[in-house]
Amino acid sequence: MPRRATVKPWMTRPLFWTEVFAIGNVGFLAVDVAMAHAINAFEHKAEYVPVYFSLIAAALLVVAMLVGGPLPRTRATVREAASPGRARLARWIGLLVGWGSILVGVVGLILHLKDAFFVEQTLKNLVYTAPFVAPLAYAGLGFLIILNRMVDARSLEWALWVVVLAAGGWMGNFILSLADHAQNGFFYPSEWVGVIAAAIAFGFLVGLMVAPRNRPLQLLTMAVLAAQFVVGLVGFYLHVHANVSKAATSFWQSFIFGAPAFAPLLFADLAILGLLGVWGLMANAPKAEA
Amino acid sequence: MSFRGLFIAVMLSTAMIVSAFMIQAQRPRHEVARQTADLVKATGKCADCHRKETSAVIHEYEMSLHSQKGVNCLDCHQPSKGQEPYEHKGFTIAKKLTSANCATCHQRQYDEYLKSRHAAPAWAAVTGPEDFTPEQIAFSEAIHKGAVNRDPHALVEVQGMASVNKGCRQCHEIGKPNDDGSIGSCTACHARHVSSVELARTPETCGQCHMGPDHSQIEIYHESKHGVLFNIQRHIMNLAARPEKLTTRDMPVPTCATCHMSGLEGEKFTHDVTERLSYFLFESVSDRRPGYKEGKKNMQAICLKCHTTPNILRFYGEAEAVVKSTNKLVNEAKEVMEGLRKDQLLTPEPFDEPIEYVYFDLWHYGGRTAKHGAYMGGADFVQWHGYYEIVSKLAEVKHAAEDLRSKGKTGEQARAKEPKAEEAKRAEVPKAEEPAPADAPAEQPEKSGGDADAAPSDG
Repeated sequence: MPRRATVKPWMTRPLFWTEVFAIGNVGFLAVDVAMAHAINAFEHKAEYVPVYFSLIAAALLVVAMLVGGPLPRTRATVREAASPGRARLARWIGLLVGWGSILVGVVGLILHLKDAFFVEQTLKNLVYTAPFVAPLAYAGLGFLIILNRMVDARSLEWALWVVVLAAGGWMGNFILSLADHAQNGFFYPSEWVGVIAAAIAFGFLVGLMVAPRNRPLQLLTMAVLAAQFVVGLVGFYLHVHANVSKAATSFWQSFIFGAPAFAPLLFADLAILGLLGVWGLMANAPKAEA
Repeated sequence: MSFRGLFIAVMLSTAMIVSAFMIQAQRPRHEVARQTADLVKATGKCADCHRKETSAVIHEYEMSLHSQKGVNCLDCHQPSKGQEPYEHKGFTIAKKLTSANCATCHQRQYDEYLKSRHAAPAWAAVTGPEDFTPEQIAFSEAIHKGAVNRDPHALVEVQGMASVNKGCRQCHEIGKPNDDGSIGSCTACHARHVSSVELARTPETCGQCHMGPDHSQIEIYHESKHGVLFNIQRHIMNLAARPEKLTTRDMPVPTCATCHMSGLEGEKFTHDVTERLSYFLFESVSDRRPGYKEGKKNMQAICLKCHTTPNILRFYGEAEAVVKSTNKLVNEAKEVMEGLRKDQLLTPEPFDEPIEYVYFDLWHYGGRTAKHGAYMGGADFVQWHGYYEIVSKLAEVKHAAEDLRSKGKTGEQARAKEPKAEEAKRAEVPKAEEPAPADAPAEQPEKSGGDADAAPSDG
């Protein structure tokens, strides 16, 4: 059962930061996808869809925040708002963006796979074709946006769902890291770090799903996620360094076709989501069990 | 600490990591054990885009031995020494592939090819020596005297650049010098991407250039018993057998490559297509090659895989008789032409008078065809396309010569014609920006510029 609303300021609640996380991620995907699709020079017109969607979705979520207040509301908590009409409108804007994001993600997954995998269905296709997991980032963010508007953020259930979504993200990150580095056959042993790190993060978040109220495990998971943050930053440095040090390559070419510079930042990004989930578990746990 | 949570965390993480290692270990060694990360990436990344654009290239490559052996796109397309690098979607590749790229792995084959008339002499026949470096000229001249340091074929000027670009050069490019200092392109015979030995052994590949009235080898081959048998049995032959392991079981019937290049049953295989030749058959009057004995011996070693020695000796004896006989007839025509020129009844310019074309056809078409027919077992080409053409043209030459003499065309009249001829020539001369071309490959270093004896290609 959700606890009664407290007087905690909105900035100190996991929900606000989760919503900021969703807005920031949806918006940044415009840049990330634009760079990824520039590889094949936006060969298909459909490749522009996620770019435009990201820009519009991020803007709409900001508008929703301005209209309905900093905290997204569920159907039940809309009534508690100072202006229920505005809160309801903000909620529907958010739900619309959430469902749209899921649609973009699922369609993107199918389109990415359609390139080669459905024809030959080999692992090699999965490695060298468009990253099939990547569009699911939209689906994950869509679910997060909807979660914030369907489940009371003061509940344990909300926090657990955030952990589930973070774990899903880490599974995607594990596959992306494995497939991306398999393209050059893990030429440098350091390329395994991302794969191993993603697997550990996923394992601990799943472990936390099984024992969500266990404080030592929560703390250990937080430590694991903090380490992922460092992995992400080091990975970002290594990718950028690999690109700028490549001989006879123009700056633009090296960033478009070289090691994906932003990809390692997904480690830091998902670490933040995982930490938000753990924070939610800590904040929303019944007092007796906390 | 929750044991349940910790157990699941550790087990799940470990299982995922081990799975990742196992999947990676399944990859073929030739894909991942490469010198650079880009070479690994090229095993799949190139095809990912090129399946959508120029997809046939991928399918051709997939049929190749290169593909089976793990040679990938970048292995061939990476810049070789002296080649301009080009940034292409994250890969550094060569702007244009040449024989230098192939030579990275097939140096011996390239070196052999360089010694052949398929190399510099082929291109020089059209352009002369101007595109070659002094070293390249010296190298080739030491082997084929007068074959590179020579004038372009006289027809180049007469016919013009359109003909040269779309005609002559298409075949003679096999010996074109490249910007990286190499010569030629192996793909002329092996094709791009499929890089096929089978293709190079197929008569039609040679027949792309060795055809037509000036060197009708493909037509002669298909008329010969070799060609007839090949056409009926090619489906049971193994044209893709490794060169060093080729046997008569793989190819019980020879194609052009078998006799001129292949290492049938342990014989040395070569990319120098002149190694097994004994006469300069392409010339108007054919002399023995400097390596006459060696060339004959090399070729007869291949003949022996199917024919007995007495038969081979008889065959060679009869063929040499044809060479001598055609030489005699051509010399007869040649004397007539030289007489006319000496008496100034012909202008010094080549190919400006009908009788010069008749004489050119006589040896360049009829003469060559008879000789090639004799060495390749093409009876009809010896007789009707060969000798008959020679003797009928000889009659025409004699008749035309008598005509010229009876008309009393004087030296002064001939010289009076010169300005007109010069004017006509200037109208045909290529523009300054066009590289000096040439139409057919001439092959007679000792010939003076003004006669129609220039020979286009190797015999």
